[in-house]
Amino acid sequence: MRLPAVILLLAGCLRAADCVPSRLGEQEKLARLKQLDAAAQDAFDHRQFSVAAQRYRDAVCLAPKSARAYYGLGIAEAANNSFPAARRALETAWSLLPENQVPLAMLVRVNVAMKDLEQVKATLRIAAERFPRDGELHSSLARFLAENQLVDLALAEGLRFEQTGAQDTGAAVALAVLENTVGAYDDAIRIASLVEEQPGVADPVKAAAAGVVGLSYENSGRREEAILHMKLAIQLAPAQENSYVALAYVYEKAQRYKDAVDVLRQGRQQIPGSLELLLPLGSNLIWDHQYDAGIEILNELIGKRPQLIEAYVRLAEAYRLTNQPELEARTMQRLAAVKPDYPMVHVLAARAMMNVDPMNTAAVLSELSKAEKIAPGDADVFYLRGKAYETMNRYREAAAAYEHAIELRPLDPSAYYRLGMAYRNLGQIDRSRQIVERMQHLKQPPTVR
Amino acid sequence: MAAGTALCKRSRIDICMTRRDLLLLPGASLLPHIRASEPQNLSFPLQSIEGAITPPDMFFVRDHFREPEISLRSWRLSIGGRVDRALELGLADLIEAPLKKVESLLECAGNAAGGSAASNGIWEGVPLAYLLQEAGASRDASAVALEGADSGRLLPDSPDLPYCQVVPMAKCLRPESIVAFKLNDQFLPRKNGFPARALFPGWYAMDSVKWLRRITVLSADDEPSDFRRSGMNKVYNRIVQSASGDRQVTRLQEVLVKSAIAWPADKMNLPAAKLTVRGFAWTGDGVVRSVEVSTDGGRAWVPARLETRPKQFGWVRWSYTWTPTPGDYVLMSRATDDSGRQQPLQRDHARKDGYELNFCPPVTCVVR
Repeated sequence: MRLPAVILLLAGCLRAADCVPSRLGEQEKLARLKQLDAAAQDAFDHRQFSVAAQRYRDAVCLAPKSARAYYGLGIAEAANNSFPAARRALETAWSLLPENQVPLAMLVRVNVAMKDLEQVKATLRIAAERFPRDGELHSSLARFLAENQLVDLALAEGLRFEQTGAQDTGAAVALAVLENTVGAYDDAIRIASLVEEQPGVADPVKAAAAGVVGLSYENSGRREEAILHMKLAIQLAPAQENSYVALAYVYEKAQRYKDAVDVLRQGRQQIPGSLELLLPLGSNLIWDHQYDAGIEILNELIGKRPQLIEAYVRLAEAYRLTNQPELEARTMQRLAAVKPDYPMVHVLAARAMMNVDPMNTAAVLSELSKAEKIAPGDADVFYLRGKAYETMNRYREAAAAYEHAIELRPLDPSAYYRLGMAYRNLGQIDRSRQIVERMQHLKQPPTVR
Repeated sequence: MAAGTALCKRSRIDICMTRRDLLLLPGASLLPHIRASEPQNLSFPLQSIEGAITPPDMFFVRDHFREPEISLRSWRLSIGGRVDRALELGLADLIEAPLKKVESLLECAGNAAGGSAASNGIWEGVPLAYLLQEAGASRDASAVALEGADSGRLLPDSPDLPYCQVVPMAKCLRPESIVAFKLNDQFLPRKNGFPARALFPGWYAMDSVKWLRRITVLSADDEPSDFRRSGMNKVYNRIVQSASGDRQVTRLQEVLVKSAIAWPADKMNLPAAKLTVRGFAWTGDGVVRSVEVSTDGGRAWVPARLETRPKQFGWVRWSYTWTPTPGDYVLMSRATDDSGRQQPLQRDHARKDGYELNFCPPVTCVVR
C-alpha cells in the first residue's frame, strides 16, 4: 500500500518561534548539546521528565536536524504523559532518520497510549513498508500490541514477523497463540509443532508450544492428539499450572471427570499453593460424584477468593446433589451478598429453601420478592410463589401467581397443571378441567393437516 | 518461580492462559469447527435468535463447493486487472488498513418465503473503494470480478473452476461495500469465509464471495471468462415470462422487502393466552417502515411493533401481542419499506426462476 503522507506532513513541527536564536559557534554548539544530553539523561534517572523534556527542547533548538535530540524529546514528553508533543517530536525524528526503525517503534507506543488506533495503524503500515524484513521490529511490536490487548494488530504484526523468516521461538509461539485465538487452528498447530520439535529450545518454551498445539487440536475436534500434546506440556514444565488446567478442561469436555481430577491433583502436588487449580478440581470432584472432597475444596477456595462467583454456583450444586437444601440456599444467599445481580440468584435460593423441611414460607416469599424486584418478567418467580402459597393453602393467591406465570411463559405446561390444581382446591372444577385440557393441548404433537 | 511462568512474564503475551481465559477466548475457539467437507447447507430456526444479531455459529451457510483449507501464511488477496498498481495483500494488510463496520443482513437469493437462510451480523473490514483506490483502479472500469478459493463444477457440464461473481463498479464503490474479515467482533469462522470475504450489504448473498482471493477490475470490454465458463452467468438470474411467452432475464442484485415469522412455528398448538408473535423484516437498499400481522390468512391486517430501530441493510425485529380465543388460525406477516415497496401475498406467476421468494407464507396454528 502507498505510504501515508501524514507523518511527512507533520515533520519539522517544532516552531522556530519557540527557539531563541543561538549565537554559539559550531564547536560550542556541540559541547552544549552534549551537556544538554547529559543533563536530560540525569533528569531521566531522577524521574524528572519535564526537566528532561526542557533540556531536549533546548537541544532541538540548537540542532534542528538532530534526530537524536528529537527522539530524546519524544521519549521525555511521553514519559511526562505529554503524548501529542511526544508524537510530534518522534515524527520529526523519524523524518530526519527514515532508515531507522526506532522512532517508528516508539511512535506506535505513543499512539497506543493516546488510544489513536488510526494513527497506530498508519504507523504500522509505514513500518511494514519500510522494514518488511526486520523480524525483531515486528515481533516486538506484536508483543507490545498483545500486552495492550490489541489482539488484531498483534496478529498482524505476528504475521509480518513470520514473513521475515526470522527465528524467534518465543515470537513463533506467541503467533500460534493468536492464531488459535482467531480460529486458524491448522496454522497454529503447524507453527507451534515446529517449536515443540525444535532441538535446543528451552523446555518452558517447548511446553508453551505443546500447550498451544494441544489447544488447537482440541478446537479442531482432534481430542486424543490434544491430550498427547498437553501431557507433553506438563512433562516439559511441571510447575506450569495452566497446562494442568488446560488438560483437565479437555477431560472435562469429554466428561472424563476422574481423569480431570487426577491431572489436577497431580498439579496440586507440583504447585501446592496454586489457587487456579482449585475451581476445576472442586468442580470435577463433584461431577465425579466425590462430593465431600469437592465441597471441601470449594469451601477452601471461597475462603481464599470470596469474589469467585463460579465457586458458589458449583458448591450450591454439590449441596443440591447431596440433598442439603439448607446449605444450598445459604450458599446462594452468600452469592447474592457478593454479587446481587447474579442472574436468578434469589430464585435459586428460594427454590432451595422450598426443599427444606419444614419450609420457611415467609423466608421463601421474601426471597421471591427480592427476585421480582430484579427480574419482574421472570416467570419462575411467580411459579415458585404459587407453589409457596399452595403449601400455605392460600389457593386464591396461588392461582393469581400461576396466572401471571402463564402470562409470562404461556407455553409451560407445568404452570397450567398447578393452576388447574389450585382451581380444583378452590372448588372451581370446570375451570380446573379447562386449564388441564389446555395443558394437554400444549403437550400434544403439532397438528398435522 | 516456575519456568513456565517466567516464560509468560518474558513473552508478556497470553501464552499462559488461565482456565477462565480458556473458556472466554475471543474468536472461534469454542465454535463448532468444520473442516474441509462437502458443500455446506446450514440454517437455524429464526426462533432461536435472541436480539437483532445472529451469532456466528447460527449464521446460515450455502456453499457451492467444498470449503477450502486456507493458511494465513499463504493466503493472499490479489487485486489486478485494470489497475495502476497490482496489489498482493495478506491479512496483516487488511487488519492495519482503515476499517469500516456495518450491520448487514445476508440473505440467500433462494431463501424460501418465511425461510431461515437469512442472517444479520455486524461486519468489519476494509472498504472496497479504499482498496480499489490504493490499486489505482481505472476510471473507465465498469465492474469487478471476485474469485473465491473454493472451486468445483457449478453445473454438470461446467469445467472445474473457482467460484466467481461479477459486481458492477458502482456497487463496489459504495461506502458499505467491504472486504470483511470479522463478524460480530470475531474473526470470520471458516464456514463464513475465513480469512476474508466480500460483503455487499443490501444485495443477495451470492455476490458476497467467501474465501476471497482475487479481485479483478474489468472494463466494459473485458470478458470475465471464468464467470461465463463456470456457468455462473446462467444462475442467479430473474426470469420473467410475459403473456406472449417471451422471457426476460436479468441479474439478481438488490434484496427484496421481506418478513418472516420466527414464532410461532407452523402447525403449532397454542394456548388461549396472551402470546407474542415475533419475527424479523428486512429490505435491500432502504429501510423497513412497517410490519403488519394478519391472523386470518391475509384478510385483515394490524400493525406490529418494531422492537429495534430500522436501519439500512440490517433487519428489524418485530412483535405483535396476540390474545386469541380457541380456534384455528392462519398467521401472516407483511413488511413495507420506505420506498413503499410491500411484500406480495402470493408469488408472481410470471416468475420462472426459484429466487426472490418474498411473498407472505401462511403459518397455521390451533389454539385451545
